[in-house]
Amino acid sequence: MDNDQLEQLKRGNQKLFSQLVRDHHHALIALASSIVGASEAEEVVQNAWVKAYKAMAKFEGRSAVRTWLSRIVINEAKMQLRSRKREQLFADMGDTDDNHDALADRFTENGRWHKPSSNWHVDSPDALLMSADLEQCLEQLLSDIPANQRAVLEMRDSSGIPFEEICNELRISASNARVLLHRARAELFKLVDHYQETGEC
Amino acid sequence: MLSCRDVVRDADLLLADELVWQRRLSLKMHLLMCSHCRRYVKQLRTLIRAVPFMHSKASDEEVSEIMDHICASENKDH
Repeated sequence: MDNDQLEQLKRGNQKLFSQLVRDHHHALIALASSIVGASEAEEVVQNAWVKAYKAMAKFEGRSAVRTWLSRIVINEAKMQLRSRKREQLFADMGDTDDNHDALADRFTENGRWHKPSSNWHVDSPDALLMSADLEQCLEQLLSDIPANQRAVLEMRDSSGIPFEEICNELRISASNARVLLHRARAELFKLVDHYQETGEC
Repeated sequence: MLSCRDVVRDADLLLADELVWQRRLSLKMHLLMCSHCRRYVKQLRTLIRAVPFMHSKASDEEVSEIMDHICASENKDH
């Protein structure tokens, strides 16, 4: 988004705001879903859009617009949890063994590659996840991985929220957050690698 | 000497530029010698950059619903 568009957005340009909704709505639903669950995510994000529209004039562009919108969604999700008297976001994870690492079986006992990644046909980030088939598989994967992994992945890699802020928001230690992010990325990597190799999920 | 499994474990920190220099040096040495790990780190970097694009765009109906909700809220406020 250029400065001119940002200024128009801040002055309440509805057409540009609609474009924001189109571009970010599903990512925000995924983020909210990882915190409050799928059944309440729509409501949380709908309320967040209203707040974002009202606060748009105050957006200074110091962070990416996705990051700014995500922070509003996280606050709204936490308010929702409080209103439901649900303090716990999700159970913190205690174990850190390799059994939960999707790439663990790619290595021999001495830690060398047993099955290295395949050659991927796509190099550009925006093209990598653009196949319609893969999109469905990704959605399935994201709904299958534990909510705490999904939350860290959505916050860090999709929303661009700094790591310290994620730990504070989710009330988890930095080391746990690192493990969760690694596991989520490993699941994603395994899926994309398999898709690149076989054309199937 | 780092194993390939160590490299995969530390690749997130390498890409976030958060490895202490000794570990970073060890990892870079490994990458010089191991094409499988070089490919993995390159692919992981691409994948991380792709994540913001992994969600599809909202449909016209979804956008309309949100914009209607915003309009209703604005009207309520005035």
